[in-house]
Amino acid sequence: MPKENWLAGIFPALVTPFDKNEEIDETAFRKLLRFLIPHVSGVVVCGTTGEFVYLSEKEKMKLIDIAVEEGKNKIPVIAGTGTSSTKHTIELTQYAIDAGAKAALIVTPFYLKPKFNEIYEHYEKLNELDFPIILYNIPQCTGIHKKWWTVEGIAELENVIGIKDSSGDMAFLMALFEKIKGKISIFCGHDEIGMPALSAGADGLILASANLIPEIWQEIYKSVKSGNIEKARELQRKIQKLARIVVRCGANQAVKEGLGMLGIDVGNSRKPIMPGGVFKREDREELRIQLENLGKIQKKEVEFEVIEGKIVKSNYPAIPITPKRIKDFTLKIGEGFAGPPFFEVAHIDLMIGKVGGPVDIAFNKAVKREKSKNGKLRVIYEKPKTLLVPTVTVRTKKQAEHIYENASNGVILAIEKSIKDGILPKEILNDIVIVANVFVHPSAENKKRIMFNNYKGMLHAIRKALENRPTIEELIEEKECARHPFKYAP
Amino acid sequence: MSKDFKLEGVFPALVTPFKKNKEIDENAFRELINYVIDNVNGIVPSGTTGEFVNLSFDEQKKLIDIAVDEVNGKKFVIAGTGASSTKHAISLSKYAENSGADACLVVNPFFLHPSDKGIYEHFYRISRAVDLPIILYNIPQTTDSYIPRRVIEDLAEIDNIVGLKDSSGNLTYMLEVLEKVGNKINVIIGNDEVVLPALASGCKGMILASAQVFPEIWQEMYIAVKNGEIEKARELQMKVQKLTRIFCRYGGAVPIKATLKMLGINCGKTRKPLREGGALLREDKEEIRIELEKLGKVPQKEFKFEILDKPIQARFKDIGLSSEDIKKDNLLVGTCSSGKGLYKVHIDLVFGKKDSSIGIAFAVQLTHPRHGFEALTTILEPNLTCKPSTLIVPMIKLKNLRQANMVYGPVQNAVAKAVIDNVKKNIISKSKVDDNLMIIKVAVHPNAIDRNKLFINCYKAVNKAIIETFRGWR
Repeated sequence: MPKENWLAGIFPALVTPFDKNEEIDETAFRKLLRFLIPHVSGVVVCGTTGEFVYLSEKEKMKLIDIAVEEGKNKIPVIAGTGTSSTKHTIELTQYAIDAGAKAALIVTPFYLKPKFNEIYEHYEKLNELDFPIILYNIPQCTGIHKKWWTVEGIAELENVIGIKDSSGDMAFLMALFEKIKGKISIFCGHDEIGMPALSAGADGLILASANLIPEIWQEIYKSVKSGNIEKARELQRKIQKLARIVVRCGANQAVKEGLGMLGIDVGNSRKPIMPGGVFKREDREELRIQLENLGKIQKKEVEFEVIEGKIVKSNYPAIPITPKRIKDFTLKIGEGFAGPPFFEVAHIDLMIGKVGGPVDIAFNKAVKREKSKNGKLRVIYEKPKTLLVPTVTVRTKKQAEHIYENASNGVILAIEKSIKDGILPKEILNDIVIVANVFVHPSAENKKRIMFNNYKGMLHAIRKALENRPTIEELIEEKECARHPFKYAP
Repeated sequence: MSKDFKLEGVFPALVTPFKKNKEIDENAFRELINYVIDNVNGIVPSGTTGEFVNLSFDEQKKLIDIAVDEVNGKKFVIAGTGASSTKHAISLSKYAENSGADACLVVNPFFLHPSDKGIYEHFYRISRAVDLPIILYNIPQTTDSYIPRRVIEDLAEIDNIVGLKDSSGNLTYMLEVLEKVGNKINVIIGNDEVVLPALASGCKGMILASAQVFPEIWQEMYIAVKNGEIEKARELQMKVQKLTRIFCRYGGAVPIKATLKMLGINCGKTRKPLREGGALLREDKEEIRIELEKLGKVPQKEFKFEILDKPIQARFKDIGLSSEDIKKDNLLVGTCSSGKGLYKVHIDLVFGKKDSSIGIAFAVQLTHPRHGFEALTTILEPNLTCKPSTLIVPMIKLKNLRQANMVYGPVQNAVAKAVIDNVKKNIISKSKVDDNLMIIKVAVHPNAIDRNKLFINCYKAVNKAIIETFRGWR
């Protein structure tokens, strides 16, 4: 079979929506497909992002059926039919053929780590089905990184029409271009290097993040095709952080939470992947901020009631969990823990309170007392009045610099961004005070990171305080599995 | 070639003491040798623990000279003479031979990764250049590669290659080597964490960093295994397991030097870029002291643990809540103790509405950190703040990082879990978690060591206090 022309462009690796009982949510899946179809060249169902290893055969069949039905006459559907055994893969692929999928994406058999001759035979057997096959290299999950000569050999099978490489190993991709470019379609499956892969010769991208930003990937693809490398580069840079969060922090849960923020509720991953796991809570905040920066989360009107009866309306980047009215400013608590790396991690304990309330009283007492002693606390911002309190006793000049300059700058930048974004509306700034307890590890050295982590931690803490997060449901859900980092001895 | 050299028993891999001006501290090195000499079969200067890569060749030579001189024939001196190039390794080994060392310890060539052929050639050339027993040295943690078993098989045929020191801690590799060449060369263990299983499976001895801290324990274990007293040997290994883990995984020479200092032997600091606060966090250094106390190597400070017998309403004055405040604002108060001795945990709790006196007390604790009594908001884990918002305030002054670790670790975790458990059970009403605050004062014994016991007792105390305090409250 020669190279197929349709196998090019942007393909999202679809998530599999689940309801609260971890059952497939068909309605949400159709909604997702309708949301994506206008922007993409095709879709991949039951891929890694679709948690295929957590799905039963029947469930995979159901997903393939739905996708084919929704995509009919619009886009091709690639079905992920790979399993660890040749027998099951053949059975599932046969189902995909009968259901009307356009091709099968078949992952390297995993877990029992077959040798390359056994892998070759796996694909040879699938080749006999006389149906288009796309090889799928994802060593992060399978533990096996195909060699270029294995791919070169398997590409000789007449039904193999492409390969998706998710390794992120650019040198490997380059070898594939050198050896088999033009013979089969070569797809990159690693969101962080989408643009360089396309520029070097990839025919398209199959990506988790294409669930969230399909039109940006489409633009990158078109820009490269038309030779506008400069533009493609700029776009890649714009989404680099989002891509990194998605790829490195457990793609499926990240994409699912991202879609939730966009108003498409696809639930959570099946356990043991869970919220606050590989996709950490700080990643959730950062993903949200990226989606805001890219204009995917739009501003909505949110009401603030700091002084009882006085409503202030703010243009706020709200997501479904944001309350319609933010009230009771007696004493709001927010926490922000942000890394990496280990030594420069930031941990902010935040209090926001109304003028005249407990936080304000404590604030004024502290300022008064500080005047009579050698000040450890600093008022670092005037509007809103903000007090910085070091959590660990400052002993050295270096620590003082870390707290009062680097961390403090981060906290200030976060307040300014929050004001600019409408998270802290200008009209309430005279009515509230902020106390930020700031932690910097005594072994920290990287000043830039101290600043930036405190910026992130403070941004998150402000949002969490206002939106009253974490929720009591989250706390109850995770009270057994939570991992406290300081509970254990070395 | 010295005929009587025997690669058996206990050999400490000595640190290299430095003076304040970063030069080798000869006096301290001699002191260290004399500290260990009675309980060991020999010593190893200029090894990995001796930071050999950060020494000049002249300095390595100096160390070898001092070691040979100070030991003066009483025990063996195994000189670390490895280098990444064959030329340098030969030159150092020759020096060691002339200096009077009894054997050479030669590390797998590192940084540039030679082929199997290159590795064989390296050791072969060195063996031809000197008339000293040579010990191969496998330490993939630093060289990033193993000496291949097949290469060892061939090297073992060479007359003056007498042993292998394996620091990998990988027992499958070690057993493979023992199976192939155990009858030709002596395999000795170089990983402090797995000494007992290594000896039990046929290793003839050990070269260890920790053998300069407690050589007598290793000597005792070595003899116990020889006599077939496995149960005894197992107990000894467990006694030092945590210390060996800290030594092996938290920076080698850094924790060893810190430990020696606690024992009164000042070997100075490690050469940069290695330093305390890197692989060895200052928090973890406290753990070393705890373990040394347990082994009876450093004395433990006495502390009397007493809770003042005041009515519960009067126990929150230090955080600004008088008994009048408690009455006026209808604050709930409760108390409970659990456990005994070192693991007794006592807690006093107060709970009430944010817009009352407890709100101010809460905010004041976070804006006025009192030295040694720093309050912290309770979390299940970072980014999972407890609800109702709960503040932990230490009752007994925190004087060191180890005490702080106990309160900010197991105690905080136990408080968070007890609070959320009771929210789940609706003993603390879910609908009221946002409007109320809790402050929990906690007393734990400053000498407490076992974190899990603290966790359990703290959980029991908080849980019981909450159940009793909130009875009938909705």
